[in-house]
Amino acid sequence: MNTISIAWIALPFFVGFVASLIPKLDRYLALGMACASAGYALLLFIEPPLTLNLLDNFGVTLAIDQLSGYFILTNALVTAAVILYCWRSGKTAFFYAQTIILHGSVNAAFVCVDFISLYVALEVSGIAAFLLIAYPRSDRSIWVGLRYLFVSNVAMLFYLVGAVLVYKAHHSFAFAGLRGAPPEALALIFLGLLVKGGVFVSGLWLPLTHSESETPVSAMLSGIVVKAGVYPLVRCALTLEEVDPIVRFFGVGTALLGVFYAVFEKDTKRMLAFHTVSQLGFILAAPGVGGFYALTHGLVKSALFLIAGVLPSRNFKELQHQPIATSIWIALVMASFSISGFPMLSGFGAKVLTTKNLLPWQTIAMNVAAVGTAISFAKFIFLPHQKREGGENVSPGFWSAVILLIGGLIVANVAYYEAYTLENIAKPLAIVGIGWLAYFLVFRRSVLKLPRMLEQFEHLIGVMSLMLILLFWMVWTRSVI
Amino acid sequence: MLEACVLATILCGFFGIIFKKNLVMKIVSMDVMSTGVISYYVVIASRDGVFVPIISDTKNIAYSDPVPQAVILTAIVIGFSIQAVMLVGVMKLSRDNPTLESSEIEKSNTP
Repeated sequence: MNTISIAWIALPFFVGFVASLIPKLDRYLALGMACASAGYALLLFIEPPLTLNLLDNFGVTLAIDQLSGYFILTNALVTAAVILYCWRSGKTAFFYAQTIILHGSVNAAFVCVDFISLYVALEVSGIAAFLLIAYPRSDRSIWVGLRYLFVSNVAMLFYLVGAVLVYKAHHSFAFAGLRGAPPEALALIFLGLLVKGGVFVSGLWLPLTHSESETPVSAMLSGIVVKAGVYPLVRCALTLEEVDPIVRFFGVGTALLGVFYAVFEKDTKRMLAFHTVSQLGFILAAPGVGGFYALTHGLVKSALFLIAGVLPSRNFKELQHQPIATSIWIALVMASFSISGFPMLSGFGAKVLTTKNLLPWQTIAMNVAAVGTAISFAKFIFLPHQKREGGENVSPGFWSAVILLIGGLIVANVAYYEAYTLENIAKPLAIVGIGWLAYFLVFRRSVLKLPRMLEQFEHLIGVMSLMLILLFWMVWTRSVI
Repeated sequence: MLEACVLATILCGFFGIIFKKNLVMKIVSMDVMSTGVISYYVVIASRDGVFVPIISDTKNIAYSDPVPQAVILTAIVIGFSIQAVMLVGVMKLSRDNPTLESSEIEKSNTP
């Protein structure tokens, strides 16, 4: 098992290299790599947890268990879907090579438990993501990519300072070293991870980046890349119980913030991006079961981004006057149902599981966020549709990708089949009902447009310092009590 | 004292990123910030001593800690490559935006 794990971590980088050397094989290699990861992730569910300590206590430490298994499975499925989507779109070998490298670096982030390996994995994923965003080479895509790289790199510099403070206290970079580290170490490290993961106010770089990149790239970014920043937070919360309340607080905060923006958004892709912010909150709000939620969200969000890419317009107002093909509408509705927590799709199981693991003070806020989810996805569900003769002019790989993702959602249902009790089913239905009612009564006609001031570049960087103060204060008061 | 200087460098870089208008200057400020972070690692490494940990005849001298230095090497490489990539991006942008003022670019490129 040890050898397999190490070979599997190194493989994507090698495969990416080979793919750029032999451009004819690029797609097959990329798809093969995604399948290998999926196989490995399934292996993790039967094998006992694995801890590897390479070199020494200051070397690379890996911990591979079921939680990583969920994240890796998400990664594998989303990557496979994106590659299928691009299958005949004439993308060059460079694109596929970057996709595999992104896949590999995110995988590496999902297994390591020391700060420096995590830093390397996150930065490699940042560069690969930048190259994917800037792939069309247009002015806008380069600016969006630059902005992303800037924000993430500045955050990672803060993170590095935090990492060395942990080393100073313990002579090791392991996650467990956070326990005796000074409060500023925790604050700096968490700032880096929060920005990288797109959580709370520091995650406001996310909407523009995810909405302005190409369809397959935004599916990849929203589906998995942000989770590379969230996973370490979940892992820290599970290893150290004193960090747990902080992570939960940020979970609730980001769930509410994201959904608040999503409800008032008039643009499909931006709405989905804001919704990613909110869903990350659900993952963080109950760290113990975050893995399953991440799997569901990754599948559903990349499916939604792929579908939003083939809709005739990005504006909800225009879409309401322009019927879409019924087949696309059905896929859209299935994905939306899953994310609003409707039974029979795995979003339901994930929501129930998360609700069960909430602390009392979180319950109300998370229910509000769930209602907000239903409201924002009512915009998709109630779009007009009609049967279209002939092709719906979608790209050739579209259906295979969407069927893979939605099939994954249905199959993932079995992971938590105990959820199907009467009480559990009634509650999400009530929430969805309230949400739809609110949509028809209030939000359908709302013209409120939220200002985008906070999304400006300078503000994004400036907010980091404010978040640093907030985090420092939180950590400090906690250690005093 | 040394630590304070290093932290001041980090802060200078950070404020440079916020207050400088030109995109190239922002990237340079980011470099200043990362230089600060790298020197912080070196400062931490030399807490116990400043001698290079290489096997030699002299015994019992205060060696510096090799781990932070080894680790920061990776960060230097990553920071350098990110900067290279960013500057290429800026070069491409500069063909269409002669001023390279980030607020102008932002205005014309946000929907």
